Amino acid sequence: MGVVCVASYPVPEGKSGQQIVDVLQSRLEQLGAEKSGQFNVDCETYQSQVPSAQNRLVHLLHNSEQPATCFAVLDTGTCLVADNLFNLLMLKLKNFYPTRKGFKIESKGQRYSLGDFIIKIGSVTFGQNISFKGILVEVEYCPCMVPGDCWDLMKEFMQGFMGNCVENPSNYLKTKMDIMYTPADTIQQYLEHFKTFRKESLAVTR
Amino acid sequence: MESMLAAMNKKIVPLQEYFLQGSVLDASRDILLHRLRGICDNIGGIEKFQDHEMVYTIGTNANNVLQLRARRALDDPEAPWLLRYVGEPDFGDRSKHTLVRSSIDVGTSDNLVQFLTEMGFRLDHEFVVSGHFFRKGRMKITVSKIYRLLQPGDTDKVEALSKSYLVELGVVTVSGQDQVQEEMKNFAEHLKPLVHLEKTDLRKLQQMGT
Repeated sequence: MGVVCVASYPVPEGKSGQQIVDVLQSRLEQLGAEKSGQFNVDCETYQSQVPSAQNRLVHLLHNSEQPATCFAVLDTGTCLVADNLFNLLMLKLKNFYPTRKGFKIESKGQRYSLGDFIIKIGSVTFGQNISFKGILVEVEYCPCMVPGDCWDLMKEFMQGFMGNCVENPSNYLKTKMDIMYTPADTIQQYLEHFKTFRKESLAVTR
Repeated sequence: MESMLAAMNKKIVPLQEYFLQGSVLDASRDILLHRLRGICDNIGGIEKFQDHEMVYTIGTNANNVLQLRARRALDDPEAPWLLRYVGEPDFGDRSKHTLVRSSIDVGTSDNLVQFLTEMGFRLDHEFVVSGHFFRKGRMKITVSKIYRLLQPGDTDKVEALSKSYLVELGVVTVSGQDQVQEEMKNFAEHLKPLVHLEKTDLRKLQQMGT
């Protein structure tokens, strides 16, 4: 486990998501990256029905990189890292925290490795219709644990195949620059992006 | 989530606890420990534990309350926290040798208390439990004493609840493994007359208490 940066990659008008994914993948392959399987990160949301925690949300996320773990993130930012059986506890809690129907969002696609880097190109799909929402690129630099120590290197690498859409660390990553990076931080970055995608698509349907 | 449900349907998730309970007076504890050391598997090294358990509830309506237990090891601060759901014990009929309850055990990070509180759970009660544990095949045996906390949250100042030790024999496994009850009954026979592990009808105990 190293340091991970998750960035959104814009899809220009007139192009399909798949076309852009293909472009990114062929650039990586030209750089010498090798395919190393599929990945996915998914998120279900539960909303409180209890008076003692009104409108509270629990986001339950899974990352194929940590297959035995699930991450429960509250809207307060608290992230509980738990065994996979926590999923079943959420079912027990369904009278208090029912699922928000049609709110499932996930990013999945191809995983690549290239030297010390792991790159994942994910297509984000949302809702019951599994409609395409955008592209998230995840880059992990394995030998380092502190984001501040390797940010410039990661930025340079990412700009190499993504252009200038990565300029500064995200607000979340900025708060973690000089502390040890953990898998929960990757989940928080995905969640930030997922929230933005959901907001955008709900704004469109209204 | 789908894979978890699939695993549940295939009955490979350990969700059921078969258990028996009994108690032994303080004065006889060492003889029982001696017997257990003799007949249980040799796990080498530490066999002691000291845990702090906090019981949280959510919901106001009496029929619609869910209880979860948060446990941490006081003697091993590095160990993960344990979040546990335990269902109502099922007494079953005479042909069944043990009590059965559903059980979900989840290891978690150390911010569990903050997480539960923010979710709207309230602390119902807490206690410290300390004692010895043993293993025999897939069975777990604990001999432990329960202490109440003199001040909320302060695990250093505790007072024993009784002059005896709680003895529990349990197996957490997938559902429908009724043959394990026979194994447990035979094991309990080996501990007689030091301790009688029985399936106790907890509802009757509660009625006696009120």
